[in-house]
Parts: sequence; structure tokens; C-alpha cells
Amino acid sequence: MSENHEQTFWTKYIFSTDHKVIAKQFLWLGFFFLAFGGFQALLIRWQLAYPEQPIPWWLLGSLFYEGGFMSPDNYNALFTMHGTIMIFWAITPMIIGAFGNFLIPLQIGAPDMAFPKLNMISFWTMFLASVVLLASYFIPDGPASGGWTSYPPLSTPVGGISGEGQTLWALALTLGGVSTLMGAINYIITVVRMRAPGMTYFKMPLSVWGLWLTSILNAIFVPIIAAGLILLLLDRTIGTQFFVAGGLATVEGGDPLLFQHVFWIFGHPEVYILILPSWGIVSELLAVFSRKPAFGAKVTAICMCTIVVLSSIVWGHHMYTTGMSPLLGKTFMFLTLLISIPSAIFFLNWLGTMWRGNLHFDTPMLFAMSVLWVFGLGGLTGLYNATVTADIYFHSTMFVVGHFHYTMAASVLFGGMAAIYFWFPKMFGKKMNPLLGKIHFWVSFISLNYVFFNMMVQGYAGQHRRLFNPSEYEFLAPINDLNISITTFAMILGFSQLIFLFNFINSMINGKKAEANPWKANTLEWTIETPIPHGNFATTPTVYNGPHEYSNPAVKDRDWISQSEPMPNS
Amino acid sequence: MVINNMNFWLKKIKSKVQKITWTTWGIWYIDPPKDVSLDGYRIDNVIQYTDTLITIYFSIVILALIFFVFKYRSRPGHKAVYDKGESKKHVLATIAMGLLVFFSVDIVIESMAFKDLKEAFWNFPKGKNVLKVEVMPQQYAWNFRYAGPDGEFATDDDIVPSQNQMHIPVDTPVIIQIAPFDVIHSFFIPNFRVKQDATPGMINAMWFQAVETGNFEIACAELCGNGHYRMKGYLTVETQEEFEKWLVDNAPQEDEDDWDDWGAEEDEDNREIPEHWGWTWKEIK
Repeated sequence: MSENHEQTFWTKYIFSTDHKVIAKQFLWLGFFFLAFGGFQALLIRWQLAYPEQPIPWWLLGSLFYEGGFMSPDNYNALFTMHGTIMIFWAITPMIIGAFGNFLIPLQIGAPDMAFPKLNMISFWTMFLASVVLLASYFIPDGPASGGWTSYPPLSTPVGGISGEGQTLWALALTLGGVSTLMGAINYIITVVRMRAPGMTYFKMPLSVWGLWLTSILNAIFVPIIAAGLILLLLDRTIGTQFFVAGGLATVEGGDPLLFQHVFWIFGHPEVYILILPSWGIVSELLAVFSRKPAFGAKVTAICMCTIVVLSSIVWGHHMYTTGMSPLLGKTFMFLTLLISIPSAIFFLNWLGTMWRGNLHFDTPMLFAMSVLWVFGLGGLTGLYNATVTADIYFHSTMFVVGHFHYTMAASVLFGGMAAIYFWFPKMFGKKMNPLLGKIHFWVSFISLNYVFFNMMVQGYAGQHRRLFNPSEYEFLAPINDLNISITTFAMILGFSQLIFLFNFINSMINGKKAEANPWKANTLEWTIETPIPHGNFATTPTVYNGPHEYSNPAVKDRDWISQSEPMPNS
Repeated sequence: MVINNMNFWLKKIKSKVQKITWTTWGIWYIDPPKDVSLDGYRIDNVIQYTDTLITIYFSIVILALIFFVFKYRSRPGHKAVYDKGESKKHVLATIAMGLLVFFSVDIVIESMAFKDLKEAFWNFPKGKNVLKVEVMPQQYAWNFRYAGPDGEFATDDDIVPSQNQMHIPVDTPVIIQIAPFDVIHSFFIPNFRVKQDATPGMINAMWFQAVETGNFEIACAELCGNGHYRMKGYLTVETQEEFEKWLVDNAPQEDEDDWDDWGAEEDEDNREIPEHWGWTWKEIK
């Protein structure tokens, strides 16, 4: 079963089929783009706070822009690429690529993915997509500038964006979609076919539930956006007009609204694609650090399934102001509001897990608990955007920006950070510095809340999105000071990630050696010695218990029992 | 039977919602632009009700979190209670939670919004008193068109004021029909709480009514290119007399001299648009 034959450097570290190596490759890719996209965010913030001042040397202003002044085109390119990179090249590889790959086989007791070669091709397709995306920085007109949604006709050559950057953007996203699809199919089949004996669906850790459901959504909805992007590519390259209408169209029958539908049919599930793994990880970690079974774990899993279904039929709430049928608006509003029910149950179960627990506040726990805060705010503010009337006012304002950063950036990234701090000892065999971890947490948590909460305040005050220079509008005068203070905190948030980076790399090299099960957790990956050999388990484990048998009174002398350990008779 | 019951409760909740005026809890501590429209208060109300809800729910979660952090923190001699949360009691609590959210959040917000849509935003005014305006945004300016004396659009007596200038009389309902020339734009007047996308190939409609005179800004709320940030329009709300005078001043001249336009400053980034861009008013059923 294990494949411990001789390996060259190339097959071991570069074109590896080992899911653990591929996971690390995805993690590094994600880190690179997280830093890149985060840096772009700082440039955006500088422009919003000081629109008429040159970008200072410590943001490398004059390196990128002549004299440190960016043009409106540069600014549009910045937020377009920031959004695209953060969603598809930072969070997706970090959460789904890295932890999907690392956790699924280990936590269900499988030797590897169902299709290891497909797994490798998936990563290298993503790498190719990254090269294509980055190539757009080296062409005369620069990268895409149509917004991460890139609504046509603006994103077609006749609509105003004629540079090749937008074409490369569409091509890179399509390639990224191919990579995601290969990964998704692999994950789904691995979970369905390769669970160890005794590992029933409800004995799977909730992190696997989250990653598995995410993959199902990916497998269904990525082909849809790929179809839309390919049509957009045709509009951009061979002059078709699928998405062009009105004064620019030379033929009848194009429809810009079609792209919006296609985009959001994928785009709304995408939000859940990103956050489901985070929910799963948080549910799992809260149980570990409360030393208590995850409260209503089955209900949590069922709620996740409910959200998977609901997420695919609510995309219209992104389009209330587009002039689509009022009847559709009502329907989409009702369906969207229904999501509040399973979401509320998540909170009940998370708090239920901590209730009467024995709470240990290690860094992963701090990040996991903070998800209750940031997802609480992010989820609840979704109510405004779900309401047709309130959304008339809030649509396309900074309120939406604050809201989706709370859900997509904060909730997902903090869930991801929790995961990194938690599984680092298993991935690298070393311990991370807990003090630096806690400093990183508190600085990030406070500055992030300042930044994104005040973005919602700005939206409430009426500031619309994607403004190169907010001082153009008189009604925005009251929020100017806020723009400056948000930028200050955004800089703190951005640069405090260096603490994390230092801690991560330093711990990899100089960290203390970690024992096999430092957190005293139950799931199967902790039963293996670190570093985990190719092929994972020496013998296929048999699963006897659920993943959350913490503080079970039948177990004497300790408060945990591994999933593959038979429960002692009490 | 079930549907009848639902309707009964919906009506009951609706009548309650009508009577309560929600006061802001001040969580968004910068005020929005002053509302000068007839129906903007409806949007402010639903926002304030939602403010109240999220403050309550968020506080419950955070207070519980903080309480648990202190009460159940790990310390010598403290042990967790083995509880999977799957007993009948817990399932009932979960269901109760779901119902509470469904009725306090979903149903109330839903019925508030439906009521407002039915009574105001989707209830287009009819009659002679209504002012009709056609709007055609382009990269990066707003074009407005008034029907002129004959009351018909796309005729020679249409009044097309200079770009980015919109005037409306106070206390008069205004219906706009909007279709862009080139890409997607969005017509946003923060002081009126209204926003309507302009999508190529479609004629969208929206209505609003001013209750105060003054000058207000119109913003483009959908990315439309590098001039998006400066695609600003000016809305002047004035008395009926002033408005009529303005219309006469802007009426097309009989002996129009092409030389009049000579040297007129045009933003060179803007696209050229056809001279006769109006459309026949689309009647709303």
C-alpha cells in the first residue's frame, strides 16, 4: 500500500503526487498571492485616503507609478486584481488547495487522494494560470481593469477595455477553474470511495464535511463561470457580441444581463465555497479546545448541506437594481433570508460547544473564536443586502465592501489562520511560537475590525465603491477623515502579517520539534508520526469513534480518545 | 388552512410594523445624506429595524462568548461536561432558534420590504401631474431628455439640457426611464435613497418625489471605466415656476445655429453620442 520507493528531487518536491507535498505547494502559492493581493489593498487604501499625494517610498510608489501618482486606470486595475487574486489565488489555494489536500486523506484514513496524478496536474494547472495572470503585468496596457466581476460590455474591447490584460484575466480564470474542477472531483471521489473502515459520513470530522461540500459546489458551479468566461473570451478575441447590446452593438441579440446571471449563479455559491471549509474547521477546533464534543455535530453537518442547496438559488440578490423582474426580486429575497436560519443554528452549536467546556486559549482557538465575531457581523449585515429595499440604497456602496470582507476575507482568512496554527505541527513537524501567534492574532483582529466596520459606516454614509477619488463628491465630505484612519489601520493590518510570516518561516527552521499529537486531538491525522511518510498510514486504520469524543467519562485518565482506538468498556 | 393562517399572521405583523417608528441605534455613527424624498424614509426604516435586530443578536452571541470565556476557562480541577448536544431538549432548542429567527428576522423584514415595494417603489404614479424624464448615461456623463410641449418623447421639441444637469420640480412625482448608450451605469441619488442600473439593451424605470428644494449630487454607482469616479450629475429641485422657466430656457431654438457649439467645451474622453438619442416612452402596465 505505501509507496516508499526511491524518489528523485523532481518527483519528490516538484512533480509530486503526494497529497501532503501538493498541499504545501498550494499553501506557498496562496501565501505568495496573499502577500501580493494584500499589498495591492494597501495601495488602494493609500489612494482613497490621500488621492492627491504621491505614494510613499515604503509602499514602493515610484517603483510602480511615475512619480508615485497612479492614474484612474491604474486604480481600476488595482482593485480588479486585488479582488481576483484574493479570491481565486490566495484564499482558494490556501483553504481548499492546501487544507483540502492535506486534511481529506489524513482525516478519513486514506493513503492518498483517489487520483494522485490528477491532483498533481491540478496544482500545475493552477501554476500555469498564475503565470498567465502575472504575465498581464508585463504587457503595455497592464492588467485587467473591469472589476473582479468584469461586467460586459465594459470588459469587452468595444466597451472601453481593449488591452490584452483583460483577455489574460479571463484566460487565467478559466485555467484556474479547470484546476479547481480537477481538485473538486478528486476530493469528492476520495471522500465517497476512500474512507477507512468504520468511517461513516457522520463520523467524518466537520472539517472534511466543509471541504467535501465545498468541492460539490465547485464541481457544479465552476463549469458555469467557465462557460461565461469563454463567451467573454470570444467577445474579446474574435469579435462576437454575446454580451454587447445598446449603442455599441453592431448585431442584435447580445445581452449584458446574461453575463451577470452566469457570473452570480457561480458567484454566490463561491462565497459559500470559500466559507464552508472555514465553518467546518472552526466547528472542529472549538471542540478540540473546549475538550468537549462538537455540539449537535450532525445538525451542523445538515445545516451545511442546507446552505449548499440554498446558496445555489439565491444569486439574484446581487442583481436587485439591474431591472430584473420584480417577482424574481421577491423570490430571491425570501430564499436569501432563509439562509439566516441555518446560520443562526451554527452560532447556537458553536456556543453550545463552548458551553460547560474546558476552554484552552491557544492561538488556533483565538482565531476560531474570532470567527464567531467576524462571521457574526458579516452574516448579520448580509440581512441589509438581502432586503430589496435596503439594497436599493446599499448596493454598490462601501457597505457591501465591508460586508463581504467580513465574510469572505475575515471569516475565511481567520478560519484559515486557525487551521495553519493548528496543523502546522503536523505539516512541518515543528511548533510555532505561541506568543508571536497571539500578538499576530490581537493586532490582526483589532485592525481588521476597525477597517471593515468603518467601511460599512462609510457605505451607510453613501460612499459608493470603486472611486478613484472620493473627494469628487460633496456629499462624501463627512467621511474623509474616516478614509484616513481606515488607511492607517489597514497599514497596521497589512504589516502585522509580517509577524506571522516571520513566525511561520522561523518555526519551520528553528522551531521546537512537535510531538505526534500536540493538541491531544482525536482525528486520525494525529495518530501518525510526523513527518508523515508517503502513503500515510502504516496499516489502514479502523474507525471506532466519532471525531469529538472529548472528556468521555468512559475514558480514564485523559480527556480524549483517538477515532481509531476502541472505546474501553465502562 | 395553513395558508389562511399564514396570511392572518402576516397581516397582523404588518399592522404592527406600520405603527412602530424605529429609532436608530447609532451603530453606523455617520449619518447618511439627508433624505429629501417622499419614500426614502421607508428604506431608512427597514435599515433601522435591521440595525435593531443585528444589535440584539450580535450582542447575545458576543455576551455569551465572553461569559463562556470567563466561566469555562481551563483551570486546575475544571473539567468539561461530556455532552454531544443531540438530546431531544437540544434539538427542540435548535428548532426554537430556527423559528425565532424565521419570525423575528425573515418574516418581518420580508413583509416590511414587500409593503414598501408594493406601496411605493414598484407603485408607479399615474396621471397628468407626473414628470417624465429619459436618462441616457454614457462614458462619462449623464444625458437627460424632457418631453417638451407635445408631451411625447423622441420628437423635435424634446428638451435636452446640457449634460449632467437634471432639474425637477418639488412635490411632483418623477418617473425616469433609463437606458445607457454604451456600458452599464447606475443612477444613484444618495439624498433620495434611489438607485437604478442602466443596462444596455434594456429600458429600466424608477420613480421618486422630492419634498424639499435644493441641489443634490447624482453619482454613477456601477464601474463604467476609468472616468467612473468623476461621472457626476447635478440634480436641482426647484419650485414649479422656476422649473417651467428652466424648461423654456432650455427649449430647442428654431433657427439653430451650428456655430453656437463652436468652442463649447466637451470632455474629450467622453464618447460621441448620436444627436437624436431619445426613445418613445415605454408605457408601464
